[in-house]
Amino acid sequence: MPIVKPIRRKPALDMTAMCDVAFLLLTFFILTAKFKSQDAAEIETPSSISGIKVPDKDIMTISIDKEGKVYFGIDNQVNRRAMLENIAAAEGLKFDEKQIKKFAIQSNFGVPLNQLGAWLNLPKEQMAAFKQPGIPVDSTAQNDLAKWVYNARKANNDLRICIKGDNISKFPVFKNVMGSLQAQNINKFNLITGTEQSPAGWKAD
Amino acid sequence: MSEIDTSGGGHGKGKGGKVRSKKASTNVDMTPMVDLGFLLITFFILATTLSKPSSMTLNVPDKSNEKEQETEPLKASKVATLFLGKNNVAHVLDGIASSDDGAKAALKDYSYGFPLREALMKARVRVDAEFGKDAKGESQFVCVIKPLRGSTYKNTVDAIDEMAITKTKRYALVDALTPDETKLLGDKTKE
Repeated sequence: MPIVKPIRRKPALDMTAMCDVAFLLLTFFILTAKFKSQDAAEIETPSSISGIKVPDKDIMTISIDKEGKVYFGIDNQVNRRAMLENIAAAEGLKFDEKQIKKFAIQSNFGVPLNQLGAWLNLPKEQMAAFKQPGIPVDSTAQNDLAKWVYNARKANNDLRICIKGDNISKFPVFKNVMGSLQAQNINKFNLITGTEQSPAGWKAD
Repeated sequence: MSEIDTSGGGHGKGKGGKVRSKKASTNVDMTPMVDLGFLLITFFILATTLSKPSSMTLNVPDKSNEKEQETEPLKASKVATLFLGKNNVAHVLDGIASSDDGAKAALKDYSYGFPLREALMKARVRVDAEFGKDAKGESQFVCVIKPLRGSTYKNTVDAIDEMAITKTKRYALVDALTPDETKLLGDKTKE
């Protein structure tokens, strides 16, 4: 009897199935992806048991960072442009086409009106690196936030107002923001929070 | 899988045999493709925001016609007042007016979360036992939230969230303190 030698082969694994799965998952993630928007400040929101989701469009976000600086942003580029044009007309400011274009791509900003033109003139990299001082809200003489809110609503009347505050921002800032809104007869707004598990046995009614 | 006969015409065997084209292996090594696939998946997982934030609605009273509505004053025994202080402490004044002599002793400190929830539940049970339900079948318990200067935004949200958890329908977010309350709280109002 001759000795039967097993034929040595390289172990081959059929990768086709795995490849299918990988690309299926990839497709899923690409389609469901919503990219993190480049925000002017990082904000850690508190969490609540509220199950209402933040709407995708027609929102105006007023953010309060941990130092109490206020940032403002609306969601649509066309509306941002209209808002800037409105405020420029109301305040007697002038912005050229380049500045307006730059402004339209900012998801939010925290620059007082009198510095806005200079900020928009900076090159792109410097704009991101610029330490934004926040929009003034407290003094009634220069309450920029109220002007922005007014002109944003003029640009898009369906805007819903969301306030996104940081965990450790102090209450007085939030009070000032609420005050500016209430002064314009806006008495209903949303607070953006993280989602938290409701306590055991709790049911919404 | 069916195979395509690539040999030329002339069926059957014979005549020098068929000319078979050499079959190359059709197995493609998928490993690099899988690598690429998973790399992209990793990128998309990291770049997306998975947990969509939720929002809570806050309605505040209309300031413009404040003077027109004269409401009757609330009975202090129906009200629990939450003073949100610094260092994540809530001072609760339950069922007693701030002008009362016993208010100082009745003012209790709670931390957020379960202790505060329990205190609110207790206050509500007390009010329900004393006054019963109103005409609409709802509890007459009223909660007033007064954030002090030292409190954070998180404290305010937690307190409002606590209203949702304890199902307190009647609550108000008020920022102004009465002179009595300022006296009662003393140092606690400072930042």
